[in-house]
Amino acid sequence: MKLSRVALLAVAAAVCGVGLWALQRRGDYGFGDNDSESNVKAEFYWSRMAYHSNMASYGAYGRRGFWGFAAWSRDYPKADRQFLIAMHRLTRIDGRPTEQVVTLDNDDIFNYPWIYAVQVEDWSFTPAEAKRLREYLLKGGFLMVDDFHGTEDWENFMNGMREVLPNRPVEDLQSGDEIFHTLYDVDNKMQIPGEQYVWTGRTYEKDGYQPKYRAIRDDKGRIIVAICHNMHLGDAWEWADDPNYPETFASMAFRVGLDFIIYGMTH
Amino acid sequence: MFQFLFKYPSPVFTKGRFELLGTWPVWLLLALIAVAAGGLALLVRWRLRNAAPNLRHWRAWAIWGAQSALVALILLLLWQPAMTVAELSSQQNIIAVVVDDSRSMAIADSSGKTREAAALEALEGGVLAGLKKRFQTRVYRFGGGLAQIDNPQGIAPTEPATHIGDSLKKLATDTADLPVGAVLLLSDGAENTAGLGGTGIGLDALQALRNRRLPVHTIGFGKVEPAHDVEVQDVSVEPRATANARVATTISLTEHGYAGQKATLTVRNGDTLIAQREITLAPEGRIQTESLFFPVGAAGAKSLTFGLEPLPGEENLNNNAVTRPILVSDAKRKILYVEGEPRWQYKFIRRAEEDDPTVQLVSMLRTSENKVYRQGISDPNELAEGFPVRPEELFGFAGIIIGSVQADYFTPLEQELLREYVDQRGGGILFLGGDASLSDGGWAGSSLSNLLPTFLPAGNHNFHRDPATVELTPDGVDSPITRLLDDPVKNAERWRKLTYLADYEDPGAPKPGATVLVEMHAEGRRMPFLITQRYGHGRTAIVASGGTWRWQMSEALGDPSHDLFWQQLLRWLVAESPGQVTASMPARLLMDDGQVQISAEVRNTQFQPSADAQVSAHIVGPGGVNTMVDLTPSADTPGLYQADWTAERPGAYLAEVTANSATDVADPLGSDVLTFQREDGVAENFHTAQNRRLLEQLAEETGGRYWKSTDLKNLPRDISYSEAGISVRSTKELWDMPVVFLLLLGLPLVEWLLRRKWGVI
Repeated sequence: MKLSRVALLAVAAAVCGVGLWALQRRGDYGFGDNDSESNVKAEFYWSRMAYHSNMASYGAYGRRGFWGFAAWSRDYPKADRQFLIAMHRLTRIDGRPTEQVVTLDNDDIFNYPWIYAVQVEDWSFTPAEAKRLREYLLKGGFLMVDDFHGTEDWENFMNGMREVLPNRPVEDLQSGDEIFHTLYDVDNKMQIPGEQYVWTGRTYEKDGYQPKYRAIRDDKGRIIVAICHNMHLGDAWEWADDPNYPETFASMAFRVGLDFIIYGMTH
Repeated sequence: MFQFLFKYPSPVFTKGRFELLGTWPVWLLLALIAVAAGGLALLVRWRLRNAAPNLRHWRAWAIWGAQSALVALILLLLWQPAMTVAELSSQQNIIAVVVDDSRSMAIADSSGKTREAAALEALEGGVLAGLKKRFQTRVYRFGGGLAQIDNPQGIAPTEPATHIGDSLKKLATDTADLPVGAVLLLSDGAENTAGLGGTGIGLDALQALRNRRLPVHTIGFGKVEPAHDVEVQDVSVEPRATANARVATTISLTEHGYAGQKATLTVRNGDTLIAQREITLAPEGRIQTESLFFPVGAAGAKSLTFGLEPLPGEENLNNNAVTRPILVSDAKRKILYVEGEPRWQYKFIRRAEEDDPTVQLVSMLRTSENKVYRQGISDPNELAEGFPVRPEELFGFAGIIIGSVQADYFTPLEQELLREYVDQRGGGILFLGGDASLSDGGWAGSSLSNLLPTFLPAGNHNFHRDPATVELTPDGVDSPITRLLDDPVKNAERWRKLTYLADYEDPGAPKPGATVLVEMHAEGRRMPFLITQRYGHGRTAIVASGGTWRWQMSEALGDPSHDLFWQQLLRWLVAESPGQVTASMPARLLMDDGQVQISAEVRNTQFQPSADAQVSAHIVGPGGVNTMVDLTPSADTPGLYQADWTAERPGAYLAEVTANSATDVADPLGSDVLTFQREDGVAENFHTAQNRRLLEQLAEETGGRYWKSTDLKNLPRDISYSEAGISVRSTKELWDMPVVFLLLLGLPLVEWLLRRKWGVI
């Protein structure tokens, strides 16, 4: 090899090295560096968990699934953003105006200690994903699940949950539990229906006649998974601006959601 | 030889006073010497210039010097020089012979004999007989105390202690009405109270000897340095600790014969090993200081043993370890955490403290503009009205954390209360970085800016939600707050590898006296991350970030770094915050002496000195000791109560000091617990080498002399030069000293030889 080629290679290596060094020095570690609303840096990020669905195209987080959309993205992003508007008005939480989608296929989820998942009767995990979600919860992360109804959905939800936390019992939350008293005292809980209530008049879906507020706790009794079964808070947030959707349900959904967030940020 | 040249023994010159017996004034002598020297200088200059113009200057001055010295000597002799010295009158004085019979005198390092045998042999070999020719003698033995004996034959090295100072003081007192002319001390000097750098002889003992002008002549026995030994010199450890804390200790040691070898430091609770660390021994005789962290374990009064594992061939294994009493308390210390907005830092600090049974974290979090969410409260009314505005409410907390809260959230009254909380009450305040913290929260312009350990930067945009990495400073390497791993090198490396912070806030430059324990790197800048300082009676600190929660979420599951750091930091914050009753004593370890003074500072609920309390100590100890002792108020210091007590038996003692209101005995002001320990005979195992420095210093400061045990021939004669007892002053004329004649002959001879050599005759 001629000396000029060696020199050329050395210069190229040096340029690459300096470039890499500069990137590391100026790297944004995933926070983004432009001024768009989605890149606003904040304390709290409304984090919606995208998961593999056993009823969608397996192996992808794409939005198209069994009925034309992926299960995790139900009500996305309107429900998220309307909730964030309420959160900004009613609390001192410094939250980003837009939602953040997080997945279980990388460690980025650990930057978001509060996550929200819907239609969890459809979720499924690889062993690595289940392990990551388990570690996330045991380290101090908080998961709120919503929008699944009836006996069959519950069983499907628990199939996934047992992969994550195999031996943790699920308990029914009582009115006196701290999670209903962090910001608002939510004593008279009702079943919060989805938007289908507007045209069916029913508060339930499938055989989920009774609202179930449930939870899974860690070893110290702190709630790490808050479960809204037989309800659809996401729809209540999403359709809160619909004059046909009852304000009572929407208000209750906001109160419960805010209580859950404050709980997740304090326990 | 000295006496051959100078006619008299050396004490005549060292202890006597020089005088001129001639009647002519001294100034005339000096004037004549000056005139003669000046005249000779002129003569030398004039004569030698003509006789030897090439003679170098220094040679001319040498000749002048020899001539001038001769003239000065002759003039001095004309004024009749003499020494006046005090001498003990023959057979009218007593020489006190004091022989050490402590256990260390049984060490056989004096030519194969024990030190005691060598001492007796020296006495019997002529010293005692020589003394008896001129004086009466009294023989004493001493160890822990002093006792007169008929003769030295019955002395055996069995005493468990060596108290030289106390024994000499007692000797001076007991013989106050006797004509004692001097003291002869035969000892290895292994005084038990001799610590690092101290002589071990108390000032009161020295003063008692000086008052009587009693010279102490000392004879040293034993090797000055052992051949093969490792000795623990001192152990520094806090006498109180919180349950399950990691406690730092500093162990000082010396070695002889093992330089560069490996040794193992250990901490044991009874037979249970609770910590160990391998060290490399420092060069011969040098004091080596090593730090060691150990888990103090569950609550209770403990006696921990700190030491070194025995090395092969050690001469003395009894000086490898020492014990220290430690009181481990699981009493909860309350910390008030004020947070201005929901944020992850708050959650994860609370979670870390939930694992610490010694801290109760009471928090108030502003969730919305007009709502405060309280956690950790003892009853529903606690903090119901918001931030405490009365001293008796706020001062009940041992520490305060102020999170992302703007300065003007606190009223001027509350700000003044916070200042008094640190300055007067002695509490600790920790400020956290955040969106509304430090400079961004307007703290730079507040009345509390002087509480902060840094000069806050200008502006209010110093908080950034950008990553920052951290690194220990040299101070941080040594701090128990930042100790995540026992090994200092691995600990520093652990900090470097901690995942990045979620955010940071520029805290500005540290103030003089503040200590930066951790630095952070962000955007190419280096800033303090953890800064501490003392302020008044308390302490303040800054953690310049709200994003340490990533250490919990992004490190491996089970990694203790986040929780350990916060637990250690908050324990530091409250560790020295006093309660309403603070008990203390000068020393927790009583060596061969059970006298102890128990003191208690008592304050009311506003932490003002309480001068009218009823204070008592309930003491329990070995052998069924169970007694109540009342503490009496100090006449000088309001709120201070004291009592003297004696621990008669060796063993561990526990004293609970309780203060009640004088007006209502059912109203307890508070209580505090002390542990202390009496050890008999243990100190004698340490510092067993001959403490020649102590013996020399004792002799020097009393006008005596240190004698080697192999050269005692002149001792009976030299000991007679003393001003104590019955003495007479004698005058020794100096004109006929052989050295004078030698000079009178030698100086002209030297001059003549020099002239001859340099060719100027």
